[in-house]
Amino acid sequence: METVVLLTLLASALRAATPLLLAALGGLFSERSGVVNIALEGIMLFGALTAALVTYYVELPFVREATGARVWYAPWVGLLAAMIVGALVAGVHAVVSIRYKADQIISAVAINLMAIGVPAVILTGLFGNSTTSGTITNRLPMWSLGPFTFSPLVYLAFALVPVVWFVVFRTPFGLRLRAVGEHPAAADSVGISVTGMRYAGVMLSGVLAALGGAYLSIGAFNQFITEMSGGRGFIALAALIFGKWHPLGVLGATLLFGAFQALETQLGGSALLPPTVVQSLPFILTMLVLAGFVGRAVAPKAIGKPFTKS
Amino acid sequence: MNERLALAAIAALTLLSLWLAPWSALNRETGARSAVLLLPNRIVDFTDRTTPVQVPGQGAVLVLSVIALAGVAAASALRERPRRVLWLVAGALLVGTSVWGLGRFAEAVDLQRLLSVRDDVASAIERPRPTFDLEVLQALVDAPEELTIEEMVARAREGGLIIRRLPYTGAALGPAAFLCLVTGAFALLFGARLVKPLNRPLDRALAGVAVPAVSILLALAAAAVVILALQPTPRASGFEIEGWLMALTGRLDTLWFAYYTLFADSLGTVRGFADSLSFATPLIFTGLAVGLGFRAGLFNIGAPGQMVLGAIFAMLAGLYLPGPTWLVLPLSVAAAALGGGLWGALPGWLKARFGANEVINTILLNFVAASLLLFLLSSNPTFAAPALRVIQLLAVVVGVMVVALLVPKLRGVMKLRPRLVFALVGVALLVGATIVSQPRPGDSPYVLNLPFRMPGSEPKSFELQHTARLPRLPAVFGIDLRETPGTNVVPVDVALPAALLLGLVALVAANRWKRPERYAARVGSAALVTLLAYAGLTALGWREAPLAIPPSNLNPSFLIAMAAAVFVHYFLFRTRFGYELRASGLSPRAAEYGGANLRQNIVMAMAISGALAGLTASHYVLGGALEDYALRQSIPTNDGFDGIAVALLGGNSPVGIVLAAFLFGVLKNGGSLLNITFSNLTRDVVSMILALVVLFIAAKGFLPERFTNPLRRAKALGDLPAEAVRDEPRHDAREGPEEGRG
Repeated sequence: METVVLLTLLASALRAATPLLLAALGGLFSERSGVVNIALEGIMLFGALTAALVTYYVELPFVREATGARVWYAPWVGLLAAMIVGALVAGVHAVVSIRYKADQIISAVAINLMAIGVPAVILTGLFGNSTTSGTITNRLPMWSLGPFTFSPLVYLAFALVPVVWFVVFRTPFGLRLRAVGEHPAAADSVGISVTGMRYAGVMLSGVLAALGGAYLSIGAFNQFITEMSGGRGFIALAALIFGKWHPLGVLGATLLFGAFQALETQLGGSALLPPTVVQSLPFILTMLVLAGFVGRAVAPKAIGKPFTKS
Repeated sequence: MNERLALAAIAALTLLSLWLAPWSALNRETGARSAVLLLPNRIVDFTDRTTPVQVPGQGAVLVLSVIALAGVAAASALRERPRRVLWLVAGALLVGTSVWGLGRFAEAVDLQRLLSVRDDVASAIERPRPTFDLEVLQALVDAPEELTIEEMVARAREGGLIIRRLPYTGAALGPAAFLCLVTGAFALLFGARLVKPLNRPLDRALAGVAVPAVSILLALAAAAVVILALQPTPRASGFEIEGWLMALTGRLDTLWFAYYTLFADSLGTVRGFADSLSFATPLIFTGLAVGLGFRAGLFNIGAPGQMVLGAIFAMLAGLYLPGPTWLVLPLSVAAAALGGGLWGALPGWLKARFGANEVINTILLNFVAASLLLFLLSSNPTFAAPALRVIQLLAVVVGVMVVALLVPKLRGVMKLRPRLVFALVGVALLVGATIVSQPRPGDSPYVLNLPFRMPGSEPKSFELQHTARLPRLPAVFGIDLRETPGTNVVPVDVALPAALLLGLVALVAANRWKRPERYAARVGSAALVTLLAYAGLTALGWREAPLAIPPSNLNPSFLIAMAAAVFVHYFLFRTRFGYELRASGLSPRAAEYGGANLRQNIVMAMAISGALAGLTASHYVLGGALEDYALRQSIPTNDGFDGIAVALLGGNSPVGIVLAAFLFGVLKNGGSLLNITFSNLTRDVVSMILALVVLFIAAKGFLPERFTNPLRRAKALGDLPAEAVRDEPRHDAREGPEEGRG
């Protein structure tokens, strides 16, 4: 009995960690290249919105004919669209903060603000209400592992950890990315394109964060709701710092936060604590982590600073 | 210079708009359907039932406008002096023609309205009812031209006939007339450079507003795409659009009317103006909060959370403080500031003490504050007994730790082995939690009953005591809206506020002219001006002027906001501590070298910033701006985020912030009208515009560096010798005492 409870808890922790892990791994690319990316939250929302909308409209003609029609490719098309939109939104952040040397935090905050306003405007235009999209019939499939079933994105997220580690620490691309984030002038002097690497880092972060968002809308749920990410982008950012900008550290940190959220869901069911108290626990935990009560971290040196080629 | 190119381009665009775009709108109906007038006298009627109005003189307006526009465009090819002269002449002609044309248009529409009402009256006379006074009505039919439309409606009511719907409402200028006015104004502006002494101030003003103005224009342009994509041309059912010209006219008019809705009510009616001031009040507070943070090199995204804490504190003070109004009200306002200030100081302390990044911490605290608010206002939060014991254990442990940190001897021990102590406490906590969380016999869940929560399903508190309420605008003038709803006209003493305003102007002027050390003389002369003005105005009989007081939520917290703006200005630019804060913001290292205590400054700056954000409670809770004088869960904390846009647009200066907040107040008021007016547009369009403004200002409006880099700009304006400017990368201003964010 106890083991079953624990395993269920573990499984839901893995599910809760998935969007955090995807977004945090994305943030890793961006921040290792020297661009702070608080826009993760907004990019997740845009990804979630795109995935839901595209899936909805791809399956619409089939669902109109027969309710509950299976269209296996619909969610995958949605996923692809989410990745593209994520890259584009991150591209806006990149252009404004790299090309126009804007304050990276302000530019990212603008994207987060847009992620509140723009979906509401679009939803009003398409569905006549400003908070929810239409429900989709074809969610991402569930692939089973033993007694549990997970979304493919869960497997992908955890498989990405070693991949990201390999790319960042064992390939020329990763070396350049880190060089650009640590000492852009030195990287520039040996012929690495600082702006090019930073664009790549930020756009990659957009793709991954949008996947995290898509998991929320078409993986774990069947529609888009405004502000459905509920601060996961910020928690992912905190996990990135907590994990010391290293894929394995990020894995550990997101698992911890995921476990907390899973606990929250479990506690929410029983009348143990008022749900509002449980809701605020991950945020308080994150603050304690950031205050360095649980280890300190050193950021990439050039983070947050625009690069001017001399 | 490319001003020639720019003016020629605007002139060409305006010329095009005279041909294609609506010059003015004749009539608007509910559902945003319109009949629009294109020059000359072509009318496109999307309502399907507007009687066409012939406006005399349209041909002359068209010809003169085209001549003036051609003059503006042609001037670009001329040499300096004749060019500016021609701009002045053509600009004046263009503005004059447009104003005259709009005047004739308004007259024609008014006449048409009169005639239409007369027809209504006439047809009513043919089918009389017993309540009618036929003599009065017949007089109306006979001599309509002598009356205004309001008088006519009033007379008809005297005669027993109530006219419900007035025809030709919403007649106003259209995009073409607007563009004519704008082009004329620009031509005049650039022509005015003929006068040499005006050049420098003009350049300076232009360079100063370039980035915000371009950013707003870009944001509005981006919004145009969304508006056009979402909102089909409103038209009567069965109305067929024929040809591309009509389609284009419809699109342009839809777009124009959306913008018109955003701005016209706030800028054109007393009620709308008061409402937009009411919307601006919290934005002034949060804008000041964010702006003060920026000045100190801190990014306070935590204004939403600080608003919530301010509101909670204000609610508690307003519910439970005993005493008279003059005591309770200021204390409640102070409580709002205290709540916000504490919530702001927390991330400040975390940054100063542990180097934790304030951006992320303030964001996280927003979520915590939202949960806290919901916790306090939700119905009967229930704790299971074991969970409660764990919380009690946690509280005890934290208490012991705090006490241990305060006792110097124990603190020394803890400093010796901090990690070991933390590990031991952590393990003890875990073991203790495991033990106390075992269920015991006789356990029963603990239900928290919060005394300030209003019973019922709605998450809100009880209403505040009357001693803690700021009266709304009608109540300030002793109007009870329950007895006389709508706009009331009451006699108001205008002499005192006018005299005070004059005194303020005199003080500002005296500050310019007198030597700084003669402080008493400056204040004295200002006071004298005030007294003289009051006496003079009283003698002129201005004591009781009838003013129309609209039913608005505007309340004295607007004055508190203005006072806060004055305070922030004085604090930042006239006190030593403010100077230190700005120095820490510009260059922390240099400030520290100069003797500033960076850590203390961070905590203080965040506390003041949080206090300003907390003061929004004076509007939302003490001012009763949300339906009633209670704390509600629906308190719009997004104002905290909008404060970022306000601060950026206002250039982090209090004057700029007040102006930017007013602009956003106008937009928000207009946004709520978008909901009502259009079928597919909502106020979210406005929140999108605000976000875009932030983005574009961050990118400095995509303008060339000539406008955005302070050094370059000074050089372009001739304030600096050319050799003073080198292309050095500017150092990033935002560095805390401890590098990094871990």
